[in-house]
Amino acid sequence: MRARIRAQCVKELLQFRRDRLTLGLAFLLPLLSLLILGFAIRLETKHIPIVVQDLDRSHLSYAYSDRLFATDQFHPSRWRGTDPVQGALDQGTAKAAVIIPPDFSRRIKAGKPVTVQVLVDGTDANNARVIRNSIQATTRFFLLDQGLIEDAQPVRAITRLWFNPGRKESLYIVPGVYAVVLWIFPSLLAAIAMVREKEKQTILQVYASGISAGELLLGKGLAYLLVGGSMALVVMGLGSLIFRIGFAGDPTPLLVGTSLYLAAAVLFGLLLGVRSASQNAAVQGVSLIGFLSALLLSGFIYPVSNIPFPLSLVSAIVPARYFVVISRDAYVRGTGWPGVGFDVLVILLASLVLFEAARRSLGAMQLGNGDGP
Amino acid sequence: MPRSSPAKPGLEPVARGGDTALQDVVLQVEGLHKSYGPLEAVRGIDFRVQAGEIFGLIGADGAGKTTTFHILAGLLNASSGTVRVLGQPPRQACSRVGYLTQTFSLYPDLSVVENLRYVAGLRQVADGDFRERREQLLPLMGLAPFRDRLAGQLSGGMKQKLALCCSLIDRPEVLLLDEPTTGVDPVSRREFWDVLAQLASQQVTIVVATPYLDEAERCHRIALFHQGRIQRLGTPTELKQGLGLSRLELRCPQRQRAEHLLVEAATSQGTTTGTHGGSIVDVQSFGDRLDVLVSDASRGVSEVEALFRRQDLPLEDLQISAPTLENVFVTRLRQEGAQPLPLAFPRSGERPARADPAIAARQLSRRFGSFEAVRQVDLEVRYGEIFGLLGANGAGKTTTIKMLCGLLEPSAGEVSLVGETCQLRSRQLLRRIGYMSQKFTLYDDLSIRQNLEFYAGFYEIPQVLRRQRIDWVLASCGLEGQGAMATGLLPGGWKQRVAFGAAVLHDPEVLFLDEPTSGVDPMARRQFWGMINDFAQAGTAILVTTHYLEEAEQCNRLCFLVAGQSVIEGTPTQVKAAQPGRLFELMVPPGQTQQAADLLKRHFDPWRVGIFADRLHLVVDAPEPELAMMRTALAAAAIEIRSLRSIPYSLEDAFIGTVQRAQATDPSP
Repeated sequence: MRARIRAQCVKELLQFRRDRLTLGLAFLLPLLSLLILGFAIRLETKHIPIVVQDLDRSHLSYAYSDRLFATDQFHPSRWRGTDPVQGALDQGTAKAAVIIPPDFSRRIKAGKPVTVQVLVDGTDANNARVIRNSIQATTRFFLLDQGLIEDAQPVRAITRLWFNPGRKESLYIVPGVYAVVLWIFPSLLAAIAMVREKEKQTILQVYASGISAGELLLGKGLAYLLVGGSMALVVMGLGSLIFRIGFAGDPTPLLVGTSLYLAAAVLFGLLLGVRSASQNAAVQGVSLIGFLSALLLSGFIYPVSNIPFPLSLVSAIVPARYFVVISRDAYVRGTGWPGVGFDVLVILLASLVLFEAARRSLGAMQLGNGDGP
Repeated sequence: MPRSSPAKPGLEPVARGGDTALQDVVLQVEGLHKSYGPLEAVRGIDFRVQAGEIFGLIGADGAGKTTTFHILAGLLNASSGTVRVLGQPPRQACSRVGYLTQTFSLYPDLSVVENLRYVAGLRQVADGDFRERREQLLPLMGLAPFRDRLAGQLSGGMKQKLALCCSLIDRPEVLLLDEPTTGVDPVSRREFWDVLAQLASQQVTIVVATPYLDEAERCHRIALFHQGRIQRLGTPTELKQGLGLSRLELRCPQRQRAEHLLVEAATSQGTTTGTHGGSIVDVQSFGDRLDVLVSDASRGVSEVEALFRRQDLPLEDLQISAPTLENVFVTRLRQEGAQPLPLAFPRSGERPARADPAIAARQLSRRFGSFEAVRQVDLEVRYGEIFGLLGANGAGKTTTIKMLCGLLEPSAGEVSLVGETCQLRSRQLLRRIGYMSQKFTLYDDLSIRQNLEFYAGFYEIPQVLRRQRIDWVLASCGLEGQGAMATGLLPGGWKQRVAFGAAVLHDPEVLFLDEPTSGVDPMARRQFWGMINDFAQAGTAILVTTHYLEEAEQCNRLCFLVAGQSVIEGTPTQVKAAQPGRLFELMVPPGQTQQAADLLKRHFDPWRVGIFADRLHLVVDAPEPELAMMRTALAAAAIEIRSLRSIPYSLEDAFIGTVQRAQATDPSP
């Protein structure tokens, strides 16, 4: 039993080493994905271009617009033309226009209310909300600063950001990227390794040797678990260096979780490899299912709690969802076993279910009755 | 078997052994049925194979051979019937059975030794045993110098030998070989069969399927499969005698007319058997001869001679000979009505006979870097001629054909194609030639008709002819009304015929066929050659490469390429006659065949000695002294010679002799 698993595993590793396609899939593409996803995804909006049309040009109006200029959220410019809506918003060079009326300082000094018009491009609804909130906050700050309103409220909420006080975004994104990369590529490799035997009909030889389905899966799985492990080392090591993130606490749950997660990914690939008839179908299936689930249903970008009802059930069985939690805990929260013990367990369970499913699909290690001669 | 007995399915008496031998029965198959949904692949077969026997399965594609193998190897469950392998159900015996599947079951990206080690691991061979057997097997198969080469970079013959090594690594008691020599050149095939004979002498039981009937001669017993049943079962000799016919080899100048007359004679007698007393049963056309099968040799000879006299036809040569397995195969299947009638190709008009050569090459050479693939080849093919280009893998056949049809620029030399010497790829010229390559050129996901329509459009065939010709292809392939079937579903032999149809839709003047029948069963091959002959008779020049040498008998003229050089050229008869020395068939007591072969290989070049089931073949250059030497050697080992007779060379013997002699004088390639 052990000898057969070892023979299978050694053979897989040899084949893996010889094939440039699989080598690329194992190391080059995961790194590329890490860089692309790690740098490209930015959830926080910064440097939004806005224009300020100051029709007052008084001391007070300058003080107000300077406040807007002082945040790094906006990238403002003073509007000198006639119609900022037509000139900037319509053409898309600015996402918002702030129009300060000519009687701005006069009315403030007279103690009368004054209206500043803010026109926001609502195409990107999320962004528009951010801009609106931000301008309101800036306005309030301006009023306090100028002593125009009193800062005396009965209840004040004092917030402090834990775990990521500097709101460093890579701390949120990069551990999530690990979940995507370490799911897709190991499963892709395993699926190709499995379906290639069927395509080239070498599987007949394997069937004829009397090896059991479990032994075959363990042999192939072990090989690709080792490949996945080295992939994880490379991706996580370089990721930490490039994005300057480090462990926040006990890394052992991550270690255990990653091994189990890789096992689940490999077994998922093997299962799809067993079920599909051609390499094309397997690759398409694995990458489509893998990308959709790991990117969208895992809480990597959008919070899991936002996923609506029937889809949320699907999300509950996506292993990536649990690994995102484990990975973020290791790099950001640092709570260790008490925080993520459950998630590690779920991934273990997923691996076992996937193994059993693949074993049953391989069945008696015979040709099905449907396959022609 | 008397001729009158009907072709009945099922068993004929087991040739070897009585009750005592039953204890040695290794494979036992009774009433085996297998269906895939509504399709019945195997419809009740029975056979037994004894220890140390080589048992051959012969039959068309789709006759149920591969299904039978899958069941014997435990890969498929039978629908009904019992199968016992070494007394156990196949699934339980699989660790004692080696199975070589039809496709190369090797990992091309693993080296020779790595492939072996993997199989050894799968089959749980201990490390020590593995090393020991590796050192035994690799030299035995001539693979020792290539142990670190990737399997994907081995030649076809070496791949199959490695696959055999892999299946031998755990010392199986039973070997199942599904067309192990398809696509392997003749020299490697001989060596492969020598190894099989040696294994059989060590009591390994071998079941082998092969599309080559000359290989079937090397089996102890063979079973003819047809549509899921065994039509005939027995030793090759029994089958040939069981046909109850004699074969007349006939050579004459006006072959076409003679064939026509003889076929007429055969069919008229077929309807009025007995009353006429005619003995001509069947006529089969070969490259430079006709095989006439007659029920009685001497009466047949006089009938044929009388017919020729009546029609005032010159008769060059008429010889009485034993029927070949191919005659058996074709006759048996004709009785089953498996052969569609040859149909006339719808042509747009008669072509005038032309005397100038259709294809001519002078001093044709091609280098790839420092490697000379083709060296100074001269050849000339006339209109209406079938010319065979023969050679082992890598001898330069495909390179030559590519240069002749302008796909590849020669390094030196001249080519003329239908009178054109330059611009071989011009549109006008392309429309006059047809090319069918080694690989299937049809689109699997299109229907058969769509494929043909694609090629018809490609060659701009007028609408009127287009329909007729596509119908002709479908009809002559036996596929009427099935044009809508997806091409990918066709078995190999059928697909090849459709591919041929696609290549000739535009009625080319010159036709290039590059290994058109690789992996095609004997029956399909005959039908294929029927179509080729039809085109040759209409004046098309045909150049065909093949390494089926029995098939090369169909060529009017042929040449052998060895390491890129043409070593011999002529009609099949001339080539055989040009072979120096003589071929002897030798029988020794059963059980000593292998020992005798080993002994003789020490005294003669190994290629001169071959085992054909219970007989030995020996090629000698100077019969007198060499036979005396052979007698002394065998006498010294106390091996009795039961019979010794001179037999004619086959084309394969001629080929192997030529190749080996060429390599002995020029060891550089």
